Amino acid sequence: MSRIEAKKPSLCTDKPLTKDVVSFSLSVLSGIVKSCYGPTGRLKQLHNGMGGYVRITSQSSALLGGLSVTHPVLNLLTASVKNHISRFSDCGLFTAILCCSLVENFQRINFESSTVTKISRHLLSSCIDYLKSEACGCRLSVDFDSIKTLLSLVRSILASKPACMLNKTEASYISTLILKAFLLTIPHSVETNVVLGKCVIVPVKDKRVMESAVYPGLLIEIPVFQLASIFPVKRVSSSTIKMALFCISLSGDLSNIGDGPVIVHHGISLEVAVLDQLLNLGKQLVNDQVGLVVCQKVIHPSLKQYLKEHRVITIDRVGLSMVEPLSQMTGSQPIAALHSLSPTCYGSLKDLRTENFVSKHFWHLIPNDILVCSLILCNRNEMAWDELKHVCQTAEHVLQLTIKQPLALLGGGCTETHLASYIKHKSSTLSTGILKAIDCSQTQYQLVADAFCRSLECVACCLEHDDGEILTDMVYGHFWSVQSGFPSDCNWSDLVLKCGCGIYNNQRNLNWTVLQRQCIPFIPQSCSNRPSVNATDHLVLDCFTAKCSGLQVAVETANLILDLSYIVEDQN
Amino acid sequence: MAFRNVNRRRHIGLQQLSSLASIGRTLLGPVKSYKFIVDVSTSESALTCSAVRLLESLDLTSAVGQLLNETIQAQNKEYKTGMTTLLFLVGAWSNAVLECLQQNVPLSLVVSVMSEGLNSCSEKVKCLQLSVHDLYKGPKSVPIHFSSRSLGSQITENKVPNTGSNSFLNPLGNIIKDIPVSKEECFPESLHSHQASPCDPHDRCLNSHLCISDNITPSLVEPVGNKTMPAVLGSSLIASNFNKRTKLTHSRYFNTPEKSHCPLQTDNFGSAPIRPGACPYEFNDFGQLAMALSHGNQSSMKLVQDIFRCQQQIAERKGSSQFNIAEVVTCCLPGLSENYSCVCPGYITLVSPEKATVTKQLRDRPLQILLIDGDLREKYRHLGFNRPSNVSTISESVALQESSSESIWINCALDILIQSKVNLILVKGNVCENLMERCILNNILIINPVTDTVLHAFEKGIGVQLVTYLSQVNSHYVGSGVWVDFWKTLELDNKVPVSIKAEGIHLVTAVLCSTVTSKMQVTEDQFWTCAYRLYHALTDQKVFPGGGAVELLCLSHLQKLEEQSLKQADKYPSGELHMSSCWLTKSLTQYKSVVLKALASGWHQYLSRVMYNTASYESEFEASTFIDHHLKKATDCSSPSSYILKEFNKGIKVMDDVDLSIKQEEALKIYDNVTSKVEAWRRALDLVLLVLQTDAEIITGPKRNQLLNSHTSSEFTFV
Repeated sequence: MSRIEAKKPSLCTDKPLTKDVVSFSLSVLSGIVKSCYGPTGRLKQLHNGMGGYVRITSQSSALLGGLSVTHPVLNLLTASVKNHISRFSDCGLFTAILCCSLVENFQRINFESSTVTKISRHLLSSCIDYLKSEACGCRLSVDFDSIKTLLSLVRSILASKPACMLNKTEASYISTLILKAFLLTIPHSVETNVVLGKCVIVPVKDKRVMESAVYPGLLIEIPVFQLASIFPVKRVSSSTIKMALFCISLSGDLSNIGDGPVIVHHGISLEVAVLDQLLNLGKQLVNDQVGLVVCQKVIHPSLKQYLKEHRVITIDRVGLSMVEPLSQMTGSQPIAALHSLSPTCYGSLKDLRTENFVSKHFWHLIPNDILVCSLILCNRNEMAWDELKHVCQTAEHVLQLTIKQPLALLGGGCTETHLASYIKHKSSTLSTGILKAIDCSQTQYQLVADAFCRSLECVACCLEHDDGEILTDMVYGHFWSVQSGFPSDCNWSDLVLKCGCGIYNNQRNLNWTVLQRQCIPFIPQSCSNRPSVNATDHLVLDCFTAKCSGLQVAVETANLILDLSYIVEDQN
Repeated sequence: MAFRNVNRRRHIGLQQLSSLASIGRTLLGPVKSYKFIVDVSTSESALTCSAVRLLESLDLTSAVGQLLNETIQAQNKEYKTGMTTLLFLVGAWSNAVLECLQQNVPLSLVVSVMSEGLNSCSEKVKCLQLSVHDLYKGPKSVPIHFSSRSLGSQITENKVPNTGSNSFLNPLGNIIKDIPVSKEECFPESLHSHQASPCDPHDRCLNSHLCISDNITPSLVEPVGNKTMPAVLGSSLIASNFNKRTKLTHSRYFNTPEKSHCPLQTDNFGSAPIRPGACPYEFNDFGQLAMALSHGNQSSMKLVQDIFRCQQQIAERKGSSQFNIAEVVTCCLPGLSENYSCVCPGYITLVSPEKATVTKQLRDRPLQILLIDGDLREKYRHLGFNRPSNVSTISESVALQESSSESIWINCALDILIQSKVNLILVKGNVCENLMERCILNNILIINPVTDTVLHAFEKGIGVQLVTYLSQVNSHYVGSGVWVDFWKTLELDNKVPVSIKAEGIHLVTAVLCSTVTSKMQVTEDQFWTCAYRLYHALTDQKVFPGGGAVELLCLSHLQKLEEQSLKQADKYPSGELHMSSCWLTKSLTQYKSVVLKALASGWHQYLSRVMYNTASYESEFEASTFIDHHLKKATDCSSPSSYILKEFNKGIKVMDDVDLSIKQEEALKIYDNVTSKVEAWRRALDLVLLVLQTDAEIITGPKRNQLLNSHTSSEFTFV
């Protein structure tokens, strides 16, 4: 008997941002993301408290994916950051921190939210315009003729996640591997429609990082105990192996039987019927001269036996993630039915070998036109491996974004401080026409711009976790860190060493000041005309596309959160 | 979501780590103290002396505990040795790091200096590596002697009196003296029955498994820096009568029962094909290497050596000369005297008496074998087969009962087996009871459960493939030429050991026996540890001199780095930090020596603990003074590494007041594995630094509400 309960009325909260619980939750979240930022960021243990897997991480995707935030305001924030991450992989923490600081700083000036929104949109667009213009002083164009800039980009991403537990040698080794893998996915001949290949990460846990390697083609691990029964593959011609790729289970079960009761007469076995169907399929595969059958799921032992007797190699349980690169690499259509195989769905391989890397055995599938490569990724334990894998994927994605838009932003906090100096200067010299257009006073604009700049500078400050002090110079507007507790009368230039991105060394004439302290606006100068830019080895760089998007997402989301006046929650 | 800050004042995570690791201190070194783990709720208890088993048995609910366990398990999975070292260093380094934090060293600096320091040490110690090739001239040097059983052959050569082996490079050689326990306390009555040394009946021989009784072979002292170390070849280990006594003699709990087995009854079980201890130790390179890697477990290492010999015999025909650890299995026979421990080609396992009667029928003739990769039950389906829940069968006739489907299946199965003339079936999983009974009636022997290793050894050996279902069976899947027989005429707990052999099979079984049932697991673990030490030494093709040589070099290297860092106070070693631009680079010199000292203190504590545990020293402090003494000598040397190698070769003579009664005993050579040791260091430091950099614990999921109501709720922030 079902019981009908009366529906509860919805809960409506007005002005959610003024509630203590919201501002408290926001400050906890902002504390978490801020403390994770940068190469010296602190790590978080993420677990369910009941003996589940412990993840140690400082990655936004893992953190936000693991957090179970309950409040709608927080949900809104995490959802937009997660969406940014899913599109760009990089700059998730930047987006989250900037968004949190914007909300905090805008709340403090306590204006009508529509005014703040209008002004901050204008500020955002001037930022984006500046970043995209040739005059931009904090970006570099990436030169694909040399790998230096690309390596710096990859190395900066690796260095920003300390939970990978890489030392210097290992970090540069992995950076080179990532770059190598990326280069293997670029087609040799450029046509109008360039499609990048795929890099598949092959997990090898509990091994040393230095045992990682990149190979063209696809590697699929062979379970130790299957080694005994390997035989040479059947070929159509000397350089062609016909293969079939199945994305359904060939285990002989009745997975597609549907819902509802099925009644079978005694003496009839559905299993036998399915197995017969499988064996028929096997017969057709053998007739079609297929040499290799790959299945995403399980193959029935009897079918395996049949195929083996006819010298067909079977590889099963390769997993969903392998299906796409396999089909891309071999040109085979993933088969999703047990009957009506069309000969067009078969693919071809150049060669199939067995190889032995890091004391494991692999099938090495070598395609005719190599666009797929395998990165055997090793790390000492599961946790560090997870972190490293994610970083590698991010780096690969960033390289893909960079090839589309060959620009990079200065990292290490320099872009943020530079941009803040630019906005400060820009807002102090605003024409009245613009003020009229957005319908606000000069003071209002100035206050919002200050909050905006404070938020940007706050992101840069989050890079420091060991009680150092942050300075900025009045020439380039870059980021400089110094030990705290220096005497007030000392010479700044004795304290600083290098700016955050590593472009500038200590120069006498740079005129430093403590970041976030009031100073006279100046036009920050550009770095791109420096001849030494591309010669410097260890630059810290950020992905241009991802950071621009992060900036936009942060401002838009902050505006959205400030604009919230009611929350209506369904209580049922 | 609940959120806890773990970095307030003193780092909670590191404190947890250090206290967890401290439980493993007594497990370090060749002389271990056993531990009892008692479950209060069920009163179940376990005996253990390895870090892996200890952590496995503990209830590690904290996140840090889990991380520690994962790290230890990962090392175990990959190397099977070095876990105790790892555990100890985790503790020592967490304490050292806590010390640094108290001195206000910036956290990020601790991380980068420590990891760079370890890196530099790992590079440095490479110069101590000894090539296995030089120590061991290949498989040809392994003598094969199955029958020789002449006892007590003494190998005494190059006898140099007064070569005191007291050394911390050779802690093992050291044990017999300086032990402040009276003989009576330690060995009630048993020692008198077999006096240890002919020279001195009152020799306080605590370390029974050390062969230091009457056979003494001092090593040659070789010139400094000779990396091939011929001196090693000169030294020898002797299988004394005491080898068969076990480690348990050191237990505070089990002293006497074990002792009663000590009197030597070597020849009672002469039928074993290869007997450890029974054959005298042959003077050869390979044996030296193996024994030097045994770290006190000579009896286990002897078994490993025998396995190697056994494999060599087979390889002679097959042309491979590697130590094939993948085709070794163990068979544990608890309750039997250790004298039964031995190595047999083929597969040995225990079967029930009913199966024993079948065995009796089947022995002495070649059998047909079937290998089943799964269960032998009607309802069993292979992995990945999903049974539909919505299918029901209706039957028109009443006669067909539901229960009959099983009997139909059994009849069918039996038909297949009889038709294909199968006598012996190895099954990976369970077997339907009724089928088992019917098979016994039909003189078909079913052995289950059998590990993958065994199944695939048979698959490879007799060239027959595994099947999952009986319906797959045809003549291609039935192997022949397999022999089954009883393994000795024993009965244990109503079970009988049988051996299964076949031509061409490489499988070797190590039969492990222990009179004390609770020690069985320990014995098995020790066997595998020895096996893997030898395996890694042969795969790495290099070993470290053991007994603290490597750690001592690290200490001296760190001292050198420290001095360097103080000297070049004004230079910034660029690129030393990931972020060379940071102010930390600038203040590196200020803190570097403190952090390097902390790193060194880990190894220092490790060494003094090992020496203290081996009972050479009355206190860790005394041991520590001794280390400092040698460290100074090494550092004063122009080349610390050659000093250390030299000392290793001769065994440092330190104490002049060596008890005269034991002047004859000789230093054992001890070797360590290279990769597993360096990896254990790295993993230990990685864990410490990972926990150090963690500042918060985020607990997700349903646990939140529990925490909210618990007494610790004030520590958490709930979002």
